[in-house]
Amino acid sequence: MDYNLRDRAWIWLNSAVGTNVRLADELIFINDGLLPLFDSVRKGKPIRLPASSGESLLDTLKKRSDDRSIDAAISKLDSIGAAAVTRDNADYPNLLREIYDPPTVLFVKGKLKSSIRLPIAVIGSRKCSDYGRSMAERFGRELAKKGACVISGMAEGCDSAAALGALSVKVAEYPTIAVLGSGIDVVYPSSNRKLYDAIAERGAVISELSPGKRPSRESFPQRNRLISGMSKGVLVAEAGLKSGTSITVGFAHDQGRDVFAVPGRITDIMSAGSNQLIKQGAAKAVFGVDDILFEYGVFVIPEEPKKEKSVLSDLSPKQKMIYEELMLGEKTADFLCEKLGFDVSEINIYLTEMELSGIINRLQNGSYSIQSRT
Amino acid sequence: MLAKMMSYGLIGIDGIPITVEIDIARGAQTVDTVGLPDNAVKESRERIRSAILNSGYEFPQMHVLVNLAPADIKKEGTVYDLPIALGILAAKGAFPAMAAEDCVIVGELALDGSVRSVTGVLPMVIDAHDRGFRKFMIPAANADEASFFGDIDIYPVKNLIEACRHFKGSCPIAPHPQLDWSGHKTHYAYDFSEIKGQQAAKRAAEIACAGNHNLLLIGSPGSGKTMLARSIPSILPEITMEESLEITRIHSVAGELKGRGIITERPFRAPHHSASIPSLVGGGARALPGEISLAHYGVLFMDEFPLFPPSVLDALRQPLEDGTVTITRAAAKTTYPAEIMLVAAMNPCPCGNYGSKTKECRCSPLQIERYRNRISSPLLDRLDIHIEMNEVDYKDLTDRAPGESSASIRERVLAARLRQKERYRDEGVLFNSQLSTAQLRKYCRMAPDAEELLHTAYDRLKLSARGYTRIIKVSRSIADLDGSDKIEKKHVLEAVQFRGLDEKYWGSSRG
Repeated sequence: MDYNLRDRAWIWLNSAVGTNVRLADELIFINDGLLPLFDSVRKGKPIRLPASSGESLLDTLKKRSDDRSIDAAISKLDSIGAAAVTRDNADYPNLLREIYDPPTVLFVKGKLKSSIRLPIAVIGSRKCSDYGRSMAERFGRELAKKGACVISGMAEGCDSAAALGALSVKVAEYPTIAVLGSGIDVVYPSSNRKLYDAIAERGAVISELSPGKRPSRESFPQRNRLISGMSKGVLVAEAGLKSGTSITVGFAHDQGRDVFAVPGRITDIMSAGSNQLIKQGAAKAVFGVDDILFEYGVFVIPEEPKKEKSVLSDLSPKQKMIYEELMLGEKTADFLCEKLGFDVSEINIYLTEMELSGIINRLQNGSYSIQSRT
Repeated sequence: MLAKMMSYGLIGIDGIPITVEIDIARGAQTVDTVGLPDNAVKESRERIRSAILNSGYEFPQMHVLVNLAPADIKKEGTVYDLPIALGILAAKGAFPAMAAEDCVIVGELALDGSVRSVTGVLPMVIDAHDRGFRKFMIPAANADEASFFGDIDIYPVKNLIEACRHFKGSCPIAPHPQLDWSGHKTHYAYDFSEIKGQQAAKRAAEIACAGNHNLLLIGSPGSGKTMLARSIPSILPEITMEESLEITRIHSVAGELKGRGIITERPFRAPHHSASIPSLVGGGARALPGEISLAHYGVLFMDEFPLFPPSVLDALRQPLEDGTVTITRAAAKTTYPAEIMLVAAMNPCPCGNYGSKTKECRCSPLQIERYRNRISSPLLDRLDIHIEMNEVDYKDLTDRAPGESSASIRERVLAARLRQKERYRDEGVLFNSQLSTAQLRKYCRMAPDAEELLHTAYDRLKLSARGYTRIIKVSRSIADLDGSDKIEKKHVLEAVQFRGLDEKYWGSSRG
């Protein structure tokens, strides 16, 4: 990929100050612009330094300014198949430019666009319940169906589920973007390698950290400001009280983004965080994707409720009894045995049958729930 | 002045006859013991001197030479106290040595002349019986251990004077009354009817017992894993006399009988997760049997399974495969039987609350994955049935009617086991869990719709290849419980319920 002089200047500055956007901006401001700064450093002329920083900064700036080190950084990017999208690049997302501290350079795999159609972040706990996962997946899919772009962090749990949901819409042109908390070439968690490749192919994987950086305790909250910053709205699929999602929600409020939350049961600790957001008025409760789209003036044609053949008609009378019991909430095989008075091996047989035909779902603790239909 | 007594020693769990020869001759007033005695045997001379003196006899003021033959086998323990003391007394003429010629004598002496119990009496008696011995003088505390043999005389002895008078003929000891095996009734400390609810887990246990499958219980603390495991021996088929003798033999060698006589119930062993390899599979300086052999024909319950050190878990694999443990030490190589049913229990995550609706799990996904990955896949291969257990409401517990009793479940299990025994009579295996891949193909014929279902399940539930084989084996056991020769669709449908850890819990593989 070719980079012009301004791009090269950004790459240089980024390599010297890293993700410290405030320092980069201050340097540019007190030295009357990026190019004058770059020029002065390369020609060995004196530059002004912020009061707080010492000579070592100047050393680093000088050391990285020769063509060789910039070329090396660029060829490293080429070798991992990534590109650097600088603030001056036409592909730099417009929404991100608006935030307080937009990254100087975004490292990108896939294709980045300046104006993304309806970018909505879907976030949630890494360690989510089956409900949270299925909600993230469902909203991811429905948003992508309506042409929105799902922004997520590609973490375990809700994030991955949302991205998978968006990718499952085969016709979607630009279904999802993942913002990493590690270097662009570091897949974390490593089990998400396949997902990473799929997102890079159809959407984009981006990171503000230089290639090769391992994720750290600080890198994730830092990254969260980009997830909300790139999006028009942030949807919390599921969050407990102490969850990283509250950081993202905080950024979203600071950046003036809308916040949505999927309500959960009030007794459910896994949904305590999202429910609290709704209670405090910090988030709009959403019951379907239309509740989000409505905010952005996307015209929603209410779908004619399909005359779906009732799943119940295929079931035997005893299976119907199980189904009706599960409608009231998730149940274990033990409970069904006691309640319905069936033999345990009979219950086992029915449950497997209904699971294999996709009517019910087996949960993490071995209990069952009705497969949600959308 | 020479005397000869018969005694017995042990190699592993096998008895070996030892001849105790005593020679009293003019010379320094010492006792010398030859024939590879260990320290416990060497020390016996001090005990014997006191015991003889305190029983009112005279200790010879001459040189006493004790020879334990065959001289090339290491002699261990304290069983030779009594035969040596009696030999000295016989050599001195206290009673005719001929009187004790055909009697096997074992026992440890206390300083006052009383006889203390020893370990390993049963294996000695079994071997001696095979070699034609019919008379045994053993410590009174060990008498019950050997009391199921039909045609032998057991003389329980309490002290040296009694023993001496017995052989002298002045006051013979009455043979220990023989116990009749058919009259024995196994007492079960736990019963399935006491477990309220937990139908699915109880069913899993029944199937596991039927095919002798190893069982993995997954559940939060308080979900009843231990209670279920403790009740499992009560649904295994009733113990036979042969099994009982073999179990007692191992326990006798390990010194685990503790005055119980013969063991008449299936063992339940629950080692703590801090157990070392020697304590679990056997070993130590004397190559003693470990927990896995002590659980022979019974249940080995390993709570907090992933917390056992990985090296210990790995050491389990071979015995689980072979049903025996071979321990090799510098001195000896010993093989102990270890036909066990392994019941492993684990929490869903390190803190135990994962998947709970009411308590928050504080583990990170990585921690949980590490916790689960501690069970290596070859070991997971050996755990055919996985079942999740959930806490039962306390209110529920009091309301419920008692469940089915262990006795009626036991009958079904026994019937299923007999079917397997009959089917595999030419194969050298007893249970479905032991089937090799080739045998699986030969004996696990499926109805066409069952086969089709298995493929659907494999695809839809993303089972692993080994999960697939496990389901076939478990289906076979369910069919056996059902009295069916063919594996039908319903059997496979039920077996799919016990896949547990085979499914991935996190990450992106489930969309």
